[in-house]
Amino acid sequence: MAEKPKVAIYWLASCAGCDEAIVDLNEVILTVADAVDIVLWPVALDFKYESIRKMKKGEIALSILHGSVRNSEQEEMAKLLREKSQLVLAFGACACFGGTAGLANFISKEEIFNWVYQDAPTVVNPNNNRPQTETKVNGNKLTLPEFFDRVYPLHDIIHVDYYLPGCPPPPELIANAVFAVLEDKLPPRGATLAPTKPLCDACPRNKSKPLRMEISESKRIHEIEAKDDQCFLAQGVLCAGPAIRSGCGETCIRTNIPCRGCFGPVDGVDDAGAKFISGLASLIGAEGEAEAEKTIAGIADLAGYCYRFSLPSASLKRKSKQE
Amino acid sequence: MKEFTPKLVCFSCKFGWGYLNGNGYAKKLKNLIPVACSGKVDATHIIDAFKEGADGVLILGCPDKECHFQTGNYQARKRVLLLRKILREFGIEPGRLKIALSLDPEGTRIPAFIEEMKKEIKSLGPLSVAV
Repeated sequence: MAEKPKVAIYWLASCAGCDEAIVDLNEVILTVADAVDIVLWPVALDFKYESIRKMKKGEIALSILHGSVRNSEQEEMAKLLREKSQLVLAFGACACFGGTAGLANFISKEEIFNWVYQDAPTVVNPNNNRPQTETKVNGNKLTLPEFFDRVYPLHDIIHVDYYLPGCPPPPELIANAVFAVLEDKLPPRGATLAPTKPLCDACPRNKSKPLRMEISESKRIHEIEAKDDQCFLAQGVLCAGPAIRSGCGETCIRTNIPCRGCFGPVDGVDDAGAKFISGLASLIGAEGEAEAEKTIAGIADLAGYCYRFSLPSASLKRKSKQE
Repeated sequence: MKEFTPKLVCFSCKFGWGYLNGNGYAKKLKNLIPVACSGKVDATHIIDAFKEGADGVLILGCPDKECHFQTGNYQARKRVLLLRKILREFGIEPGRLKIALSLDPEGTRIPAFIEEMKKEIKSLGPLSVAV
């Protein structure tokens, strides 16, 4: 019998919600487990990194990596799995674009450490101890991974063959991706294994959209009693649907929550946030500049909204304070 | 140290600011991009300009309520207002992005507009975005 293809599933800077999504394949996972040989999956099974290191180059058919890269351990594992794998799938919003944890790129490593190890009201740290990559204790050397200056999407660290976005990716797309690998029916390298059209195209509320929409006062979802059958933008609630890829199954929309953008930009667009700004601008209804400025000033955390899942892959990088 | 010369990208509406074919401005001025309408300038174009090393971006559109395509200049202005808010959150001075709505069918005032903005950018210094 021919050897089964080897598959590794690994978490980088991840909440493990992506692992949960794989488990959510339910009975399909039995078919997958029969068809492949899982060689690494820290959240579910006990394997040793050493056995991966001993493998030949390209011995693993597919590595499914989720989470962004924030420290040197994640970088090392991403590079190791890249070396041993024929295909690498960036799985979930964090691996694809940096994810929500990537919002940390709005502040520096120093600011994060100051808050976490000193300034937060619940912290007592009289000696101002900070994590060190190397510490000597009783003559023994203890080490910790290095915390990087910023969060990186996976493709900034290693070459990525395919992308499957989402927070987390929906089971249907996961199953499609896995079977596409097993049946050798993959699209060209570099493709995103999801539909190419924007979310509005698939949105069940699309038909409720009025001919002309204007937002004169932006409201957050908890501030109004949102109608569950009307376009969010028509209700003055920001929804990233016009700039975000479809394929998520519209789970947020169906539970009366506007799109936050976990599926990232559509094909041909690198920066979904910038694209959303262009669309949003034309929706701002205002007589004159002063009124437009007032409406725009009323939008809470605009940059955070535009880049909620994709700040690390935004075209603009935060200007560092040191410079 | 070498003196800092700001790099400025200027998008100019062909209707309000001249087709620029006869007077050769488009060739003389570096990084001048004549467009069909200021409303054609997408937020991604502006952000790409910054990403590619521009220290400032200037958009020249038609006067208020005089857009050939009805509201292109108005859309561009709202886009600029939104983007300036975004720039601020990225730690970038909002003054690096400007829009001027006026009429100059020959485009003769374009060099002066560019020089004036370059002066302002010069006082802000180069835009070195951390990568």
